[in-house]
Amino acid sequence: MRGNKAAQLVISILVLLAGLASIIISLIIDILRINFSFRGGMLVLGIVLFFMGLYFIPTQKHHKAIINVIFLFPLLFCFAVTVIIPFGLGLFYSTTDWNGIRMTGFVGLKNYTEMFKDPSFLWSLIITVVFVIINMIAVNVIGLCLAVLCTSKIRAVGFFRAAYFIPNLIGGIVLGYIWQFIFNNVVLKWTFEAFGYNSSMLSKYNTGFFAIVLVYIWQYAGYIMMIYITGLTTVPTDVIEASAIDGANAVQTFFRIKLPMIASTITICTFLTLQSAFKQFDVNMALTNGTGSVQNFMGQYLSNGTQMLALNIYNTAITKNNYAMGQAKAVLFFIILSIVSILQVRISNKREVEM
Amino acid sequence: MRRRLLSLMVAGLMAVSLVGCGGAESGAATGTSNAEAGGAPASASSGKSIRVVNGKIEVDSQLKKLAEMYEKESGVHVEIESMGGGIDIQGELKAYYQSDNMPDVFVCGGEADFNNWDGLLQDMSDQEWVKDTDAAYVSAEGTVGFPYTTEAVGLAYNADILEKAGVDPSSITSPAAMKAAFETLDSKKDELGLTAVIGYFAEPVNLYWSTGNHLFGTYLDSGLKREDSTYIDMLNDGGKLDEKRFADFADMVELFNKYSDQSLLVSGTYDQQILNFASGKYAFVTQGSWIGATMTTDDKDAYAEAGNFKCGMAPYAFEDGMDTILTNSPSWWAVYKDGNVAEAEAFLQWLTTAPAQEVLVMEAGFISPFKSCTYVANDPFAQTISDYTAAGKTSAWHWLNMTDGYAQNYTGQVFADFASGTIDKEGFIQIFKQVTEQAYAK
Repeated sequence: MRGNKAAQLVISILVLLAGLASIIISLIIDILRINFSFRGGMLVLGIVLFFMGLYFIPTQKHHKAIINVIFLFPLLFCFAVTVIIPFGLGLFYSTTDWNGIRMTGFVGLKNYTEMFKDPSFLWSLIITVVFVIINMIAVNVIGLCLAVLCTSKIRAVGFFRAAYFIPNLIGGIVLGYIWQFIFNNVVLKWTFEAFGYNSSMLSKYNTGFFAIVLVYIWQYAGYIMMIYITGLTTVPTDVIEASAIDGANAVQTFFRIKLPMIASTITICTFLTLQSAFKQFDVNMALTNGTGSVQNFMGQYLSNGTQMLALNIYNTAITKNNYAMGQAKAVLFFIILSIVSILQVRISNKREVEM
Repeated sequence: MRRRLLSLMVAGLMAVSLVGCGGAESGAATGTSNAEAGGAPASASSGKSIRVVNGKIEVDSQLKKLAEMYEKESGVHVEIESMGGGIDIQGELKAYYQSDNMPDVFVCGGEADFNNWDGLLQDMSDQEWVKDTDAAYVSAEGTVGFPYTTEAVGLAYNADILEKAGVDPSSITSPAAMKAAFETLDSKKDELGLTAVIGYFAEPVNLYWSTGNHLFGTYLDSGLKREDSTYIDMLNDGGKLDEKRFADFADMVELFNKYSDQSLLVSGTYDQQILNFASGKYAFVTQGSWIGATMTTDDKDAYAEAGNFKCGMAPYAFEDGMDTILTNSPSWWAVYKDGNVAEAEAFLQWLTTAPAQEVLVMEAGFISPFKSCTYVANDPFAQTISDYTAAGKTSAWHWLNMTDGYAQNYTGQVFADFASGTIDKEGFIQIFKQVTEQAYAK
């Protein structure tokens, strides 16, 4: 029995080492760009061998830990490949002069200092914040109003719920082009006939910005409404009945009973809109692609009057062919979003405790 | 025991699924390595293949037809991958490069693009077609770009309407003559059935390339000899503009603004622009020779209704004596050095032969840059381009060498502001200078 165990130990360690060797060799082949078509298979085989060896190591004490590792591995592997490694590479590239194909040298933190000297980037940052604030309030107020409407006793409530929700099912790009057509043809026709004003809403940064806000609300309010409806329908009826007996009218019931009862829903919705408004890209791109001129901002003429942060990053990298700078901006974007997320988690945790 | 068996089974299942993923992965790896191996005899039995990334999605079906013809003739499979319609092709190619999935032949649109791929492109100087054309792209590394068509930028006009109005298009070689022609046409607008004299659109979202690249390209080249690079050199030297020449150019843009279709000037689309020109609603249009293809396909009915009128091109004469139109290869095909070079070069060489040229010219509507080609496209603008070329009155497209994103992120918007009346001519000149400096500051 004992000899058996020793043999098992030797074999399992041998298998484990073989697996490790196979992994390392296949990685070396890949890094040195040697053409060997089985390198992928070799890597997988190595990983499998490694874990087989690990599994068959005759140990009682660590067996549970080993099983845990084996079961966690696929998830950790995917997470590393899709998140950790690209993120590390992104940080690395943001300190170089990478152009998407190759890099010739390191520039240190120059990309980071440079971007704060660029008025067009600061402009994007500012309008993104303004956009977020406006939308956070507007989408939630309108979403809540729609939810109240759709939980009241009007006819065809089901139809209205579906109708308000449908814009959210249309992709942002398609939606952007639909509204672009409306603004450039329909609205323009009205304004041209009424005031002889020959340019559409989308051609000025202020009206263009307003147009994006409008389309965004149209797209997102229905989605938020759905969440509020869920919140409103979970308000216990006995409380409402009790208030009705006490003589509260509809307005009082809403503000004194329903609203406090759905406080947690409000938090969720606020942060949902906050995050998605920050990441606004598709509607922005399809509707105005960031155009709209600002005559004088910090002494400069800007041509990216409606360009939000995400689109600014994309444009820096793709159309201006400056991938490293785009990457640096993306890192800043990540930092901003993580602060928002951490705040969200903190606040919602606190609320849950209070409830 | 049973529990142990169960866990073993689960572990086995996991391993199988991993191998399953791995199988696909290594399969893909095999695919690319075959392509990388180039002319290696290992895969000869199954037939070689090359992959072409085409930037003109409108000729996708014609290229696929050529690919089939070529496969029948030589046994090499050609895969056509067409991109276009607002896709940033260079961005896509970079993604391909990162994922080790480079095509063997791909499209490059000018100096900035070629510089990106510096050192990664095959020098094709030894190819036979090089002697047959003047339009190849030559960099410091040799002949790296294969030309496949010629396009022209000029002030396109509806010859029938001009004739009816008594305007001689060949007289338009000075700003005064252009203005006189516009005024004559404007006064006879109703009897000629015109909506506006000129279809000039300055919409900044989807048409920035028309103003920022093509129209501004006339500032860089109009009236100059093909090899004259005075103004592009100035521009690329930190973004300098020639005061006098640019002021004259601004005068022309102001004229266009005044006589354009006011309801579409700032917000119109390419489709509306071409459709209205094809329907005979504009006497002039600020687009190049490529609209011929749109007029004879998508807008066929409107064009027929307007009497299939003759078209021509006048020079953008914003200074006296400018008598050239701008013709060039709009983009080139480059061969990736680590790809299937031999097959790719053979395919490009085959494209210059008569049967391939017949498809390219007669079906795709290309204007062949090769001297040996005898086909003339059935395109409304083919005649005018060959006239200008024969007379030696063509200038180059030096705007291809402008900095990345100059039109899209900077100047397109300035043209739109000028059109909408937000800024006047002085403002236009001053702001144009300012944004040019910004664009070149990096």
